[in-house]
Amino acid sequence: MKRFFTCLFGILAVMLFLTTIAFAHTPLCSCYDNGDETITCEGGFSDGSSASGVEMTVQDKSGKVLTKGKMNEDSEFTFKKPDGPYKVIFDAGPGHVVEVNGEDITE
Amino acid sequence: MKRFVLLLSLMLAFTLSVPAYAHFQTIYTPESALSKSKKIDIKLIFTHPFKAGHTMDIGKDEKGNIHPPIAFGFVHKGKRKDLLKQLKPITFVSLTNEGRAYNANVRLRGMGDYNFYFVPAPYYEGAEDIYIQQCTKAIFNVAGAPTDWDTPVGDPLPVEIVPLDKPYSIWKGMSFRGVVICGGKPVPDAEIEVTYLNHNVKGNAFAKEENMPIPQPDLVPLGIKANKNGEFSFTFPKAGWWGFCALGAGGDLKYNGKELSQDAVIWVQVIE
Repeated sequence: MKRFFTCLFGILAVMLFLTTIAFAHTPLCSCYDNGDETITCEGGFSDGSSASGVEMTVQDKSGKVLTKGKMNEDSEFTFKKPDGPYKVIFDAGPGHVVEVNGEDITE
Repeated sequence: MKRFVLLLSLMLAFTLSVPAYAHFQTIYTPESALSKSKKIDIKLIFTHPFKAGHTMDIGKDEKGNIHPPIAFGFVHKGKRKDLLKQLKPITFVSLTNEGRAYNANVRLRGMGDYNFYFVPAPYYEGAEDIYIQQCTKAIFNVAGAPTDWDTPVGDPLPVEIVPLDKPYSIWKGMSFRGVVICGGKPVPDAEIEVTYLNHNVKGNAFAKEENMPIPQPDLVPLGIKANKNGEFSFTFPKAGWWGFCALGAGGDLKYNGKELSQDAVIWVQVIE
């Protein structure tokens, strides 16, 4: 029985350790204006890992979805520049969301 | 009396040795960690940063002719971008003189590291009757994503310092470690000088005010050594820009029939 608890404790300790690693990195997203009516956003994580496949959403001021897509294999997402104010949402899951305001995106 | 003579000779030695060493080639921009893609202003100055002192004409030979820079650019996500043609000559004013320097407006587009490199034409130092060529690096980052900082630039840098700590994420009190390499191989026991940009760069000149007083003359520049694997470590007492120069990392070389000291320089920014 004692051995069972030691084992359980061991597993929990390992799990805790793994969780820490999973959350120790920060999601990153940065966008720039290509100057041809398109915007490119790049994503990644602070540990250098790829953001390929991460869901990307472009919303207008009221929260209406204008464009939706995913980061490509180079962790990039390009979309047509909306006419009005907008924001870009990089969503890699809970605690890993980055919002970029359209007005902060320059050439 | 004996002690007085010793002190006097030591003082004389200091005075003589200060101008001879402590040359540092810069790749300067105000901020190394940028929050987003933007255009940055880079200044290449060959100077004595601790005291904002004598500024040399980059690439001047023994006859006084100035030769153009050999290589300038960056490596970003493994791709090299040559920016040699974007360099514009400027006159940089130190606290004691003025010298030929260069500047470039460079657009950094996209997140990640930008490993900037610069290879000047060798400079003739009359005080030592040698040529000095400082192969210089500075690493800037956009939006926090680490991509290239720990990878050597390689060609066109014959010698370089490869960081073991992210050079744009150093908090005051932290250390910086690096490896001196020549042709891809570590340089054992490399002799390294450490300097601090003690006067801010304002336009094309140094500001008069110093950022910290120098308590002891032998601190300018600081002298450290690499271990047998070419690795070194340094802990920063103050925030700002710090430069490391591995003297003669290129080995025994000649240029125009004179000794050539081919040095590897890297700049890191400490924040607080």
